[in-house]
Amino acid sequence: MAGKKLTREEELLLEDFSRNVSTKSNALFYGNAFIISAIPIWLFWRIHQMEPLESAILFGIVTVISTWLVAYAYRNVKFFLKHKIALKRGEAVSREVMKKVADDKKMSKQEKEERILWKKNEVADYEATTFSIFYNNALYLMLVIIISFYLLRSFSPMVYPFCCNYIGSVGSAGGLLALFSTSTPKN
Amino acid sequence: MSWWEVCIVAVFAVLPILIAGDTCLSPSVKPKVYTTTDASVAVNTVIVIEFSVTCKNGIKDLNLYAELNGHAIPASKIKDSNSFQVSFSSLHKDTPAGNYEVRFFDEEGYSALRKAQRSGDNAKSVASLFAVPVTHPGASHGILVQTEFVAAVVATLVWYIAHSARGKLQSNNH
Repeated sequence: MAGKKLTREEELLLEDFSRNVSTKSNALFYGNAFIISAIPIWLFWRIHQMEPLESAILFGIVTVISTWLVAYAYRNVKFFLKHKIALKRGEAVSREVMKKVADDKKMSKQEKEERILWKKNEVADYEATTFSIFYNNALYLMLVIIISFYLLRSFSPMVYPFCCNYIGSVGSAGGLLALFSTSTPKN
Repeated sequence: MSWWEVCIVAVFAVLPILIAGDTCLSPSVKPKVYTTTDASVAVNTVIVIEFSVTCKNGIKDLNLYAELNGHAIPASKIKDSNSFQVSFSSLHKDTPAGNYEVRFFDEEGYSALRKAQRSGDNAKSVASLFAVPVTHPGASHGILVQTEFVAAVVATLVWYIAHSARGKLQSNNH
């Protein structure tokens, strides 16, 4: 019986775990994606000596594309992680919620379970969102540094054509990030 | 010889002394010193000293000579000013980091210095007009590891931590 209940719970959880994220979560993703996509501008301005005003249009376009790619990666990684996190933290969350509502005699069993489910979803959502942002930011910055300094070393922004290193490194870092985010985790 | 003829002779006799290159008395020097610090770009270490000299007795047309480690060269005068510039160049290994003193001589001092050098006397004992201390921090080839390498290593490390944390989250062990 307990097993049956768990599958029902899981079904409910999975319904909640669609790829569509809330507006709040979306705003957080796009805000973070924009900040992390704009960071390479500093690198190319101060280290690679690209004039920011001359390349403003290029910086703008590439940052917007990269923002979209990074946000896409955030969403994907969050989706894969949320379920796993919900399973991992489920037991602890239900124990904690049960402790809180155990004394409440008025509350029905179904209501208690709903509350556990809701809490599980909230915890998993929060952890998956923050971890997805952290993981993707780390990967994105690593890709930008390695591509711009090592793989595209010969396309230095100091020699003509000036734009290729920036477009190449930021574009491909965003693209690779989006690509890696679609890989299904090995179980 | 009449008295005024004596006067003229006396004036002509004293004149050279009056107009001759008098030694510069208590010179005040304002030096600007440059030394090479980047050995990866420059082949030689260069010490450049630019300075202005004001003599207490108002001597304007000075001819100065600079001496460093036994090498004496004339200082070039910047036109229509009392500023001079002098530069020494040597291999990096011949000019290690340290404190140096560039000594400056006028015509008289310079000939005394040359004389001392020729006769093998101690050139250091020849009194200079003034000296400019030079602190050379040494020419270096820069840091051993490039900054971008450090940045790449740190970024990879952070990503590795994130990746292993993700692996732990995705593992089936509860």
